[in-house]
Amino acid sequence: MLGILASIIDGVLVGLVYGLAAMGLTLIWGVMDVVNLSHGPVIVAGMFGLYLLTSALGISPYLALPPVLIGGFFAGVLLYWIAVHRMVGKPPLMSLLSTFAVNLVLVGLGTAVWGTALFNVEVSVPGVSLGRYTFPGPHIVASLMAALIAYALYFFLHHSRTGKAVRAVANNREAAELVGIPTTRVLALTVGCSLAIACVSGMLIGTLFPFTVLSGDSYLLKSFVVTVLGGFGNPLGALFAGVALGVLEGAVAPFVPISWTLVIEFGLFVLALIAFPGGLFSLRRGAL
Amino acid sequence: MSETLLKVEGLEAGYGEVQVLWGVSLAAVRGHLTAIVGANGAGKTTTLRAIAGTIAPWRGRILFEGDDVTRLSTHEKAERGFALVPEGRQLFTTMTVAENLELGAFPKRAARAYAERLDQVFTLFPRLAERQRQLAGTLSGGEQQMVAIARGLMSNPDILIIDEMSLGLAPVLVYQLFQTLKKLKDVGLTILLVEQNVHLALAVSDYAYVIAEGKLFTEGRPAELSAMPEIRRAYLGL
Repeated sequence: MLGILASIIDGVLVGLVYGLAAMGLTLIWGVMDVVNLSHGPVIVAGMFGLYLLTSALGISPYLALPPVLIGGFFAGVLLYWIAVHRMVGKPPLMSLLSTFAVNLVLVGLGTAVWGTALFNVEVSVPGVSLGRYTFPGPHIVASLMAALIAYALYFFLHHSRTGKAVRAVANNREAAELVGIPTTRVLALTVGCSLAIACVSGMLIGTLFPFTVLSGDSYLLKSFVVTVLGGFGNPLGALFAGVALGVLEGAVAPFVPISWTLVIEFGLFVLALIAFPGGLFSLRRGAL
Repeated sequence: MSETLLKVEGLEAGYGEVQVLWGVSLAAVRGHLTAIVGANGAGKTTTLRAIAGTIAPWRGRILFEGDDVTRLSTHEKAERGFALVPEGRQLFTTMTVAENLELGAFPKRAARAYAERLDQVFTLFPRLAERQRQLAGTLSGGEQQMVAIARGLMSNPDILIIDEMSLGLAPVLVYQLFQTLKKLKDVGLTILLVEQNVHLALAVSDYAYVIAEGKLFTEGRPAELSAMPEIRRAYLGL
C-alpha cells in the first residue's frame, strides 16, 4: 500500500514537469489559436542545451536553467517571425503545417549533429527517504523548479502590465489594439515565453530521464494530452492535468510493463474526452 | 475657440473588394460633440473604423492636430489620443471590470492621469465602482456599455469616438448615457459619435454629418438639419 502511495507522490513530482511542458503549448494556443507542432523538438532543444552546458562548461545541471530559459525566449521570438506571424488568424491547417515544418527541420538538424544515440546527464542530488522508499533528489528539485516557473508565469499574466496585455490580446485582439496595446509585439513575446517554458521543461526532464534527438514526439503527445485535459488555453489547468498524468503513470507503473503506460494514458484520455469534451479543468472558461 | 482637432478628407475604404466609403470628409471641433448619423449600412461604422485604424483607409487623409495620422496603426493612434468605444462594446469579457479599466489606461499618456481618471470614471458610473471585481462578461448590457465608455476615458484621450452607443439598450439607460456624454463635453472633452438614433444624436450634438451610401449627404447644425424636409422624412419619421 505504501508502495503505491510512494509511486503516486513520485508521479506528482514528475507530473509537475509534464504540466510545465504543456503550459508552453497551451499558452500559444490560448493567445493566438495556434497549435505549435514544433513543441516536441523545442523540449529536446532544452535537453541538449542542458547536455551541452554541463558537458562543455562542466557546470552544475541546475545552473543551465537561466541560459536555457533566455535562449528559449529568443528562439521563440524568432519562431514567431518565421513560422507563426503570417498564420495568426488564418485557417488552423496553415499554422499546423508551418510549425510541423519547423519540427522536421529541427529534428533533421539534431539527427545530423548528434545522431539518434541516447544521452544522459549525471545529476547527483541526495534523495529523501520515507520509510523503505526513497524519492530521487532530481525528481524533487525538478518538480520544485517546475512549480516555481509555473507560478512565475501565473503571476506575470495576472499581476504585471505586460502580462495583462497578453491576456487582453488572448481575449479580444482588436479591442487590445484599440486600447493601445501593440498586439503583434505581444504575440511575439508570448511565443518567446512559451518556448522559454518548453525549453526549461525539457532541461528539467533531461535531469530525470535519458533522452535522444527523437524524444520530442512523445513529449509533444504528452503535452497535447495534458493541454486537452486541462482545457485548451488554460495554463493552470495544464499544470493540474500534468500532475494527473504523472500520478497516472506512477500508479500504473508497478503493475504493468513500461511500454503499456502510453496505451493506458491514451485510452483514459479518449474516455476523459468523451466524458468531459471541454477538458477536465475548463470549468472557468477562458481562465487565461 | 473653434479649432479643428480631427479632420477627415476624402476618405475611401472598404472590405476586401467591396468599397463602402466613397469620399467622406468631416471635421471634429475641439470641445464639441460631433455626430455622424445615417441609415444602417450607410458607412458610419466603417468611417469610424478607418479613422481609428482598425481597417486601413484606401484613399484620403486623416489629420489630427494638423498632423497626418492616416497611416498610424491603431495602437499608435491610441497613444496619440484617440479612444474608440467600438460597436458591440468589445470588452475583455474574461477579465474583471478593474482590469478592463486598467487596460484602458495602457497608453503611456494615460499613466500620469491614472488616479484622476479612475476617480472621474467612478463618479460618472458609481455602479462600476461596486462591480470592480466582477468579470466584465457577466455584466448587463448597460453596465457593459458603461465599462466600454469608462475604458475609453481611462486612456486620457483627446477625442472620444463612440460607435452606436444606444444599440440594444433600454431607452432609460440610453438617456442616462447621453446625459453622461453631455457632462463629459462640459468638462472640455471632444466627442465624435456615430448613432442610428437620429433624434437623440441631433438633440445632443453641436454639429452633425449625415452619411448615405458611403458619401456625405449633408451636414449642419442640428437645428438646421431637423428643419430640412428630406431629413425629417427619411430619418426622423416626421
